[in-house]
Amino acid sequence: MSSAQRSSRTGNESTADQSISIKIPASPEYIQVLRLVAAGLAARLSFTLEDIEDLKIAVDELSAYITGAHGRSGTLAVDFTLHDDRIEIKGTGKYAEGYDVRTDLTEFSRMILETVTDSADLNASDGLPVFSIVKSKSSG
Amino acid sequence: MSDRATLDRAEVRQLFLEYLDAPELDRARLRERLVDQYIGLVEFLARRFRNRGEPLEDLVQVGTIGLLKAIERFDLEREVEFSTYATPTIVGELKRHFRDKGWAVRVPRRLQELHLELAKIVSTLGQELGRSPTVAEIAKAAGTSEENVLEGLEIAQAYNFTSLDAPIDSDDAGSTSFADQLGSEDDQLLNLEYRAALAPEMAKLPERERRILYLRFFKGMTQSEIADKLGISQMHVSRLLNRTLMRLREALEV
Repeated sequence: MSSAQRSSRTGNESTADQSISIKIPASPEYIQVLRLVAAGLAARLSFTLEDIEDLKIAVDELSAYITGAHGRSGTLAVDFTLHDDRIEIKGTGKYAEGYDVRTDLTEFSRMILETVTDSADLNASDGLPVFSIVKSKSSG
Repeated sequence: MSDRATLDRAEVRQLFLEYLDAPELDRARLRERLVDQYIGLVEFLARRFRNRGEPLEDLVQVGTIGLLKAIERFDLEREVEFSTYATPTIVGELKRHFRDKGWAVRVPRRLQELHLELAKIVSTLGQELGRSPTVAEIAKAAGTSEENVLEGLEIAQAYNFTSLDAPIDSDDAGSTSFADQLGSEDDQLLNLEYRAALAPEMAKLPERERRILYLRFFKGMTQSEIADKLGISQMHVSRLLNRTLMRLREALEV
């Protein structure tokens, strides 16, 4: 690791209400891209490592509902909004064909999400699955 | 799991009894029947490795070798389903396949070193700060960029560094029955609406993974607290947790 230290920050400390959008194919192998983006953005907000790990688990968990285990033809569009002390993530599945997508979280998913986020949910909106995540910087 | 798995538990037991007692000539035929019975399990497990650039057919063949090993080693005295017993052996064979091909060694050499260093730094910083460090803090301590740190942390999830990992699916991991491993803690895991689907998958998890799951989501302990309790690093906890959740998600087809 000889590469020079370089901060990803731009020097502008205020990140208030900036947002980033990214669209991936609705396939599980691209969820990793979302994990990286989420981690990168959370790092900008100086989240701790554990909070970042938690956020990635939440992104994984909810994205899996949209992509299914084997992928679906269509896209998962995700908006990340940065606030001073928290990140909000909203993901919408758009499919090329009709899928029977479950939008009721399993009890286990709910339990995982309650542990790793401030709030998280999955709903159907105009027949499309939409998830949302809010995760604040921990005070500790 | 497969429409080919048509025998019930008693019939499988009977088949195994016949197999174990059979003269050499009949063994091949009986073994074939056992393989037929469980090839669906092999295919199911092989599919978990399907995104690694190997044709599924090859993976099924590799997995079948694991299945044959499991058939040879299976002991009816053990009060455990054969599928429970065979799963770690089959998965172990698949992992070994990737490892032996150099696939997991060639790419992450640099990452493995980065990962080792990060694990050390995360744990030292955690102790100094009394909390989980931020990515900026880790990057500073490691003398590298935040991007490198993020990459190092994320890549660690995808690769299985055998040098860091105690064997998760060791060959004898399935030798104890689920009932034997069930502590009182686990009763609460099963006390869910979802238990009908979840419990069988939980039962297949190695004891440590199940425990991590329990401590994180049912007890609300942090990854660092769990790491302390189990005597492993926080990054290792993170990796096991991610992998376990992924496994459950795949198995349950959420």
